[in-house]
Amino acid sequence: MVRVKSRYLLCEVNVPDRSRLLLLDDRAVAAAVREAVARIHGDYGAALCSSGFTVKYLNAHTGIVFLRLPKRSYRLLWSALPFISSIEARGQKVSCFLSCLHVGGTIRTCQKFLIQYNKQQLHRMLPKCKNPEEEQKIRRAILNCSVPGGNMEGLEDEDDDDDEEEEEE
Amino acid sequence: MSAAKVKMRGKKMRNQPVSVQYPSSSAQNGGDTPNPERTKNPHQRGGWVRGHQKDGGGYTKEMPKHITAGSFASARAAEVQAMLTAVTKTTGSCHVYGALPKHMRRRSMSHNTKRLPRRLRDVANRMREKSLQAGSKKKKEQPKSKSRKARRRHGNLLLEFNRRQRKNMWLETHIWHAKRFHMVKKWGYCLGDRPTYKCYRACYRAMSSHCLLQDLSYYCCIELQGEEDKLLACLSLLTSKETGPTFAAALSLSGRRQGSVVLYRAGQYPSQPLGPVTFLWRPLVPVVIPAGVVLTPEPESEKTPEAQQVTGTKRKHSGKDASVPPAKKILGDGTRSPTTAVTWKSSSTGIVINDLTLELVRYRLIGPQSHSVLAETLEAATDCHEIDKSQSSPLWWPEHCKDENKMNLHQQQADVYHILKGIYSTGELPPGTVLGLTVDDPRVTLPTKKVKALPCVKQAQEVDEEKRKELMLQGVPEHCCQSYLWEQSVRDNVTDNKISEQQLNRMKSEVLVPGSRLSPIPLQGRVPILLVHQPGKQVGHEMSSWGAGWDLLLPKGWGMAFWVPLVYRGVRIGGLNMTLKHSQNKGVSHFPHDYPDCPAGVRFQEEQESELLDKFKRRPPAKRTNYIKHGCLAPFRCPWQQLAEEWELITREAESQTTTEADTVMEEKMTSRRDITVTKPQSHVTVLRNRKSLRLLSGWCKPTTSKGQRRCRVGEVPPLDRSAATSFLATHVMSLVWVRLSLLSKGKPEFHAMVCVPTAEDLQLLKKGSSSTGPQEPPHKDHFKSRIKRKKKGNKKTSTPALLPKTDSNESDLPSTSEPNPTTSKDPKSSSQSTSDLIFGLWPDPLPSVTSHCSRVTLGWVTQGDFSLSAGCGEALGFVSVAGLLNTFVNQPMEHRGTLLLRNPTSLHYRFAKINIEV
Repeated sequence: MVRVKSRYLLCEVNVPDRSRLLLLDDRAVAAAVREAVARIHGDYGAALCSSGFTVKYLNAHTGIVFLRLPKRSYRLLWSALPFISSIEARGQKVSCFLSCLHVGGTIRTCQKFLIQYNKQQLHRMLPKCKNPEEEQKIRRAILNCSVPGGNMEGLEDEDDDDDEEEEEE
Repeated sequence: MSAAKVKMRGKKMRNQPVSVQYPSSSAQNGGDTPNPERTKNPHQRGGWVRGHQKDGGGYTKEMPKHITAGSFASARAAEVQAMLTAVTKTTGSCHVYGALPKHMRRRSMSHNTKRLPRRLRDVANRMREKSLQAGSKKKKEQPKSKSRKARRRHGNLLLEFNRRQRKNMWLETHIWHAKRFHMVKKWGYCLGDRPTYKCYRACYRAMSSHCLLQDLSYYCCIELQGEEDKLLACLSLLTSKETGPTFAAALSLSGRRQGSVVLYRAGQYPSQPLGPVTFLWRPLVPVVIPAGVVLTPEPESEKTPEAQQVTGTKRKHSGKDASVPPAKKILGDGTRSPTTAVTWKSSSTGIVINDLTLELVRYRLIGPQSHSVLAETLEAATDCHEIDKSQSSPLWWPEHCKDENKMNLHQQQADVYHILKGIYSTGELPPGTVLGLTVDDPRVTLPTKKVKALPCVKQAQEVDEEKRKELMLQGVPEHCCQSYLWEQSVRDNVTDNKISEQQLNRMKSEVLVPGSRLSPIPLQGRVPILLVHQPGKQVGHEMSSWGAGWDLLLPKGWGMAFWVPLVYRGVRIGGLNMTLKHSQNKGVSHFPHDYPDCPAGVRFQEEQESELLDKFKRRPPAKRTNYIKHGCLAPFRCPWQQLAEEWELITREAESQTTTEADTVMEEKMTSRRDITVTKPQSHVTVLRNRKSLRLLSGWCKPTTSKGQRRCRVGEVPPLDRSAATSFLATHVMSLVWVRLSLLSKGKPEFHAMVCVPTAEDLQLLKKGSSSTGPQEPPHKDHFKSRIKRKKKGNKKTSTPALLPKTDSNESDLPSTSEPNPTTSKDPKSSSQSTSDLIFGLWPDPLPSVTSHCSRVTLGWVTQGDFSLSAGCGEALGFVSVAGLLNTFVNQPMEHRGTLLLRNPTSLHYRFAKINIEV
């Protein structure tokens, strides 16, 4: 079977003020990316963006974005991402930058990576806590993250499989 | 995306996370910290939805002003949860094998679940059971049917046939027809419409040079019995002398000729016609006093003999067979339950009405060679010398053989029949001749191969020349018209004692020399028949007696026995379609089509309209003909009533103009008559059938040959002027007249084409060059298009429809309309109300003035039109308003009188046509 192949970028939107993050929505992010690509790569880049580029997922609380890019031109488009300095959302400019955490051949690998990453972040947050109330909350969150049924191993196995597939591509 | 696809996608994406964001519409007017329970929610319930979500993927929480580390942590945790569900749950839900990596999948896993890894086995087992159940369910849904062999077994087959003809009756030749024809369900019968093979021209050739066969057994047949004078007195109420010879015509009364009349409701002559009827008087036998008459109304025409105080003669197929239908072949009318009365008796006059529909089989042979086909197929019955005459027999023929008188009669009939063979063409005989005969079973002489029956010239020389001349001039002598088909007992006897095909074939196979004729012919095979000559074209001046033929009347049950031998004589078989073409070429009005004032005609028009409308609506609007643009108000029906009313109004208008100029006496007369017309209640439109008036009208329209090259001579006709026209219109102002239009140049008229009046410029054009094709109608504007569009848009935004341009704007620029349009003035208002049932390309219901809608004034419409193979040009039959026609004639110059315009509903091109009224 032939399929349209694409690359999924797992990016994090970094903002100086976290509350501004909540203004974001998927369309604003998409527009910002498009704008940046058009600025850096001109009409050619804009045309590449027009098909196969979407924002698959956006979490306004954590600032996690899944971008889908066509595999043929993802390097070119990716190269424009560092030039995003602000995102215009709801009439306000949210100054930010995008940092890419992971590049995956399927959205599944990105999701898997995100799980790992989030866990890691939560663990990192734990020592930085200022008051016990917060600590309590974070501990609960970490507990929530643990996989029910404990089939984490299988998950990791699949992880490996997918990685292999990616290499084959 | 279709609904199923959406569902599939929804199922697939059910576990995928949705974006977590705040709705774009809500302002940032603050709130408190996000509730961690709440933030988790969208992941659980949302499911993946394609595209940008306006409400932020179901996450309807007001945006907080600040966030804390705790809430951020819980958001992270929620995201992890969402991703976990997305990753752990397999997306391809339908197959467990999707969960396995490719290199571990095996084909045999689908039926042997033990091949699967253990963790997937349970799911796979469940799925497998499910699919098995679904498969078995589908099988169960199929109806339990017997095997084909069982179904085709004779008894079961007959049961099935009887079941299938419960609603629509079958003729005896149904199966033969069903194999070869497109069948239609009409009038409660299954009838063949047209053959599946190409034969239009071949059938026409057969009609004009050889023979075309049709099964007309579906004709209603009613027998009236009573004393002659009483019968005539009753029947005279139903007819009028003005329409031609009635029931009392001397020739038909003697039983020698068949007659035809148009019936009206008792005593209602000019209005309320019922339909055409052909009738046959039973010849008087000295012994039998009561005379009989067989009426053959065309199908569907209901006969209400109010004169005889018998009501409810209308036959209904009420298939109330409560009992299980017997496994017996139905002969005649199977739906008629034995308790239903088929006979009515009038108490005051003693007239008995018998319904003989489907008791007689009626075949029609059309064409000049139909007599030779008959002569080759049928042979006069051989008498039975060998049988001991003293013995009484259950069969009717041996009994008849004993009677010397009857045998004499039979001999004479056989002689006449023999002379008949020598005739050159069927049309030579006097129209409507009747011949009674008894014939042998035609299956005995069935040829092994299909042969074409040809006239036997040799025999013609043998036959006495004088006798043949006498037959051609006088017709069949009176006593020879007697047939035993009239007698119920003989009919029943013949039907009951028919030898089956199987038996006959066995007898044939037992003949010593294979292939030789069976002799003696079994005694059962003597059938009384009645041959009725059908006149050919009687009107007009050319192709006279075209399409003449014979009607063959048989007792029921013998249909197929006669049909196949006839077919083996090389005749063509025609269906309903050919009947229409036959009458069209013959210049005879065809029953339901050309009787718009009869109840059956009205019903036919309604059916036709709904049928055509359905067909029209099936097309996508962009591919439909826009009849509004073509200026065609009613493409699927002909509003005769409106046409007649409008022309009545126009003539009255014209009259009032003339009366002002005329002297006072004249004026008084006029006004008095106008008063009468005003006070007269709204009369219905009628078709002019008064022969005198028709002849007058025919003379006025300058009859010519079909293509209009040559004038035909007509008798003395009073010159047409205004006074003659007004006096003529005094009685016929609301009438329509049936006309034949032949196109002067090319063009093929279709049904519902408009008949219009040419303007003076058009006639100039015609005079200049006869090859000119005709004027053009300027395209009309479709004002309803915008309204339909607006209506569609109106669903989105409920704006009040703006005022439309007046619909009669396209009529304001017409040159020829000086007449007031009473209907147009109220049109815009009423049509705006009826926006609900607007159909693209059709005028909504309250039509504007039909006469003056186009640039040429409309006179009437065409009911049938085609390229006529007999005339070699396009010919149309239709109705025009008498008032309009006379008005046109008066205004037209003498050399162009009778030239009209014809325009198809799908075209803007007018064609010149010559009008002919044939009496």
